[in-house]
Amino acid sequence: MTAGLGALVTPGTYLEWSPVAPPNGPDEQFVAGRQAAAAALAAAGSVVRSVPRVAGGRPAFPRGYPGSIAHTERVAVAVVVPGAAGVGVDIEDAAVTERMVDFVLYEGERRTLLAPDGRYRPVELFSAKEAAFKALDGMAVGDGVLFWRIKLHRAGDGLIASFGGLSVPVWARYADGLAFALAVRR
Amino acid sequence: MADQVTETRQRIRELLVEMHGPDSFVRTVSDTVSLRQQGLSSAALVSLLVAMEDAFGFEWDDDIQPEVLRSISSLAEHVVALRV
Repeated sequence: MTAGLGALVTPGTYLEWSPVAPPNGPDEQFVAGRQAAAAALAAAGSVVRSVPRVAGGRPAFPRGYPGSIAHTERVAVAVVVPGAAGVGVDIEDAAVTERMVDFVLYEGERRTLLAPDGRYRPVELFSAKEAAFKALDGMAVGDGVLFWRIKLHRAGDGLIASFGGLSVPVWARYADGLAFALAVRR
Repeated sequence: MADQVTETRQRIRELLVEMHGPDSFVRTVSDTVSLRQQGLSSAALVSLLVAMEDAFGFEWDDDIQPEVLRSISSLAEHVVALRV
């Protein structure tokens, strides 16, 4: 998967994957996410490799090493970007139905970002909103459950996600049945 | 009112079982715990909200508050309140 991400993983962005062990439940997904985070922190040069949970279940990365974790039932990913103001990563392998698309995407997003006018799959935009919400977390966006309120629009090769006067660039790709999105707030 | 909330909670549980299977987290999750913190993914949450629209015959408002979507109980209480 990483090989297909190309320009998404720029110098200074440390991304690591970890498989989820059977029986692939929430506990195993949590462990895989922390393993990926520890590997990403090690690659970034952090001597602290643990990522405890804080209120709301969010991961607390070591000071100076902001990061984000996401997982499916099969695989977990973690990204660390030293110096960033906020980082959000998301992966999705779930089917996104037409009803879900209508629920999560604004009409303008469906028209301009999805085929035929746009180049994105619904699941990529779903992931992009989730990643952006994580990157904006702590910036008055509130509980992460309403990630679909983020608005997306095209910007060069990527996307800009905005909410409540805040914005963050997001990159989204799809490969091998998995959507991946990364948002980094500088 | 209390009976309606109980029935609605049960129907929401049935929807979750249809989506995730009887041996999933649904078997042990309490009515008041955060579904997201119990491992419900963002995609699964949206799928549940869409299924609830069909099951209970309503549409979610754009300005719905995040707390409403937190747990089986908060979801059920919202659905029942819409019917009052």
